[in-house]
Amino acid sequence: MPERWSDYVAILMSALALGYLVYEIDRRRRKLHDVFDVLDADDAHITAGLEAMVSSGELQPYAGATLA
Amino acid sequence: MSPQPVALRECVATVPRFRIFIIDSGWNSPAHKVLQENFGLIRELQKDDPIYVLSKEQSIEFMRNHQDRIGREPIIAVHDLAAMGESGTTDFHGFRLHLGLLRTPQQALLALQNFTRFLTTHRQSVDLEAEIRTDLRREGLAGAIEIILHHEAREIGE
Repeated sequence: MPERWSDYVAILMSALALGYLVYEIDRRRRKLHDVFDVLDADDAHITAGLEAMVSSGELQPYAGATLA
Repeated sequence: MSPQPVALRECVATVPRFRIFIIDSGWNSPAHKVLQENFGLIRELQKDDPIYVLSKEQSIEFMRNHQDRIGREPIIAVHDLAAMGESGTTDFHGFRLHLGLLRTPQQALLALQNFTRFLTTHRQSVDLEAEIRTDLRREGLAGAIEIILHHEAREIGE
């Protein structure tokens, strides 16, 4: 057991710093996955919708050099 | 082993690996402008894969059916034809970029450049899913190191 108050403060500050680090890393990881991620089973209905538009001819490969 | 004939090499190089979809309902955002301004270059760099651009009306209709994605457009979805040929859409079958989440032109341009580089450098990948997950882990690790070193926020996602 720590014998001085300053030891308790040091332990508390270290715990807070570690907690912040874990929180910040997790926040950035989530943000990155929000921006860029893989398509998997959760996106299957969206993929199916887009592929159906291609199959039906509703979407054709874009031939233009610029977006309208 | 003899080298591949030129015609065969060209054929391998031009067989589409991906289908690229651009969904943009037209928010007046930095990401929208960056995409408009750089589409021609992306088109040139991605000549071997078809790009499907949903019209504004198609994009809005799409968003009405997928409301949780509103505000994340422009969205670039890339379907990996090789993965879809193996397991359909039940497992990994591509990747996507929510460009609209990036708030400044610099962030959007950097993300677009990184995304295009990723596409061009991984066209021949045998295990694309593993490579994407490795890249994401590397990004996460790099972010952790930056936090520890008290560096400025990374460009993407901040």
